[in-house]
Amino acid sequence: MNTVVAGITYRALLGRRRIILLLLLPLALIGLAVLFRVFGNGDQRTAVLLLQNFAIGTMLPLLGLIAGTGVIAPEIDDGTIIHLMSKPISRPVIVQTKFLVAASLLALFAAVPTYVSGWLLVRGEDGIAAGFAVGTLVAGIAYAAVFLLLGIVTRHAVTIGIVYALVWESLVGNLIPGARKFSIQHWGQSIADQLTDSPFFKSDVTLGFAVPALLAVTVAAVLWAGHRLRSFSLTGDE
Amino acid sequence: MSEIYDIGYRHYDGVRLGRGHSTRALAVHSLRGIFGLGRPARSKIVPFSLAAIMMLPAVVNIAMMALLQQRGIAYSGFAVVMQAVVAIFLAAQAPTAVAPDLRHRVLPLYLSRPVSITEYVGAKVAAMTVAVFALIAVPITLIYVGELVVDMPGPPATGEYLGALLMALVLAVLLSAFGLALASFTPRRGLGVASVITVYLLSSASVPIIYATLASTGDEAGAAWAWLANPFWLVDSVQHWLFGTPPHSIEGDYPSGPVSALLVVVLIGVALLGLALRYRKAAAR
Repeated sequence: MNTVVAGITYRALLGRRRIILLLLLPLALIGLAVLFRVFGNGDQRTAVLLLQNFAIGTMLPLLGLIAGTGVIAPEIDDGTIIHLMSKPISRPVIVQTKFLVAASLLALFAAVPTYVSGWLLVRGEDGIAAGFAVGTLVAGIAYAAVFLLLGIVTRHAVTIGIVYALVWESLVGNLIPGARKFSIQHWGQSIADQLTDSPFFKSDVTLGFAVPALLAVTVAAVLWAGHRLRSFSLTGDE
Repeated sequence: MSEIYDIGYRHYDGVRLGRGHSTRALAVHSLRGIFGLGRPARSKIVPFSLAAIMMLPAVVNIAMMALLQQRGIAYSGFAVVMQAVVAIFLAAQAPTAVAPDLRHRVLPLYLSRPVSITEYVGAKVAAMTVAVFALIAVPITLIYVGELVVDMPGPPATGEYLGALLMALVLAVLLSAFGLALASFTPRRGLGVASVITVYLLSSASVPIIYATLASTGDEAGAAWAWLANPFWLVDSVQHWLFGTPPHSIEGDYPSGPVSALLVVVLIGVALLGLALRYRKAAAR
């Protein structure tokens, strides 16, 4: 953890237009929760539907993508990463710092709004709000690690990430149950399921698979990203 | 044509092809860039694999017609069913059309020649429109050709096919004007991709939820307005109004009347105006 690198990364992410993107989705989530509340649908079924489909299913992968690639990809694009890499800071430490920044942003922009919208709908009932908030947080950390790695490996990180999130996790995951085993958002749902006893929510992936998978993916992605940055070569844009 | 300095170089005395030609050249160049033609193989992977995914349902449809004598996806509903793929294509490729010029600040170079902002923006929008239109129209046309070859019982659905083509064009104009307007706000490709897909997902993920909530209060007619917040369903509702095709919303009907058509025109106008204003500012940098 290097505080200077962390500060620069926070400034780059929050000081520009990117923050509008980071705010748009959580505000929409809270707006929908308020809409449900106003129209008197504040029951557990709608809460689970909203949190499962919108919060974890749509908002989280996108925010993970924006934050995860956003901490490093623009610097690589602009070539300013060279200034960072020429400093006597261990490159794995740079990656770990940037990963922590992305993870903290996801906690702020994904997990907190998830808790707020869950609380707006059902208050503390059956631990739905808390369960989904923890699930979002854990899955968000894994997303941050994976998309950070993707941002270092390829310049088409955002496109590939969207294809993974929309085509693999949403489309294929909805049609083929087996594909859900290899989807970060379903691992997060498994954690959420463990913390709530709402009868309306059942996750497909067992906790015994989800927890090791989350840990392995997060640690492996951060380590590999650090390794990639150690032997990083700046190549020209197409 | 003005010369700033005449330092004795040999003058160009070939044919002056004029503004129309330069605009067309810019449009063709942008179109090739959108599909990654003339770029390294890595740039071709995304557009062509998305185009291949668009062809899959067409192939399945033809197989169904040949083997089971029954139709799969209707022509009128093709774009709505495949909307996620079209949206990913738009998000992934719209920034490649606008971001490099903004990023490398070459706009003043373009504009120092007889290409005006209107022509520059027009060429970009035209290129993106052709790309999105081709993405939707090629599979539909393939299904139609298949239907003619397979010789289904009953007359071929020529009217529905032509209507779907026209609507694909309208959808392509709407999507590309909006996609380019959003993508042009940032010179970074990654951020452009993310912002286009965020706006699309906001409309596609929230609209069914909003509809279900409003409909649960018993106000079906009021709830139907929710569908118009998503471009694919908006254009489908125009199609429903123009050609009387069945609505392809997830559930429920569209608001009746020409309001949706008017909305499409207004939205396209707003997006083009936004683009023009954005480029007036960008050109000055």
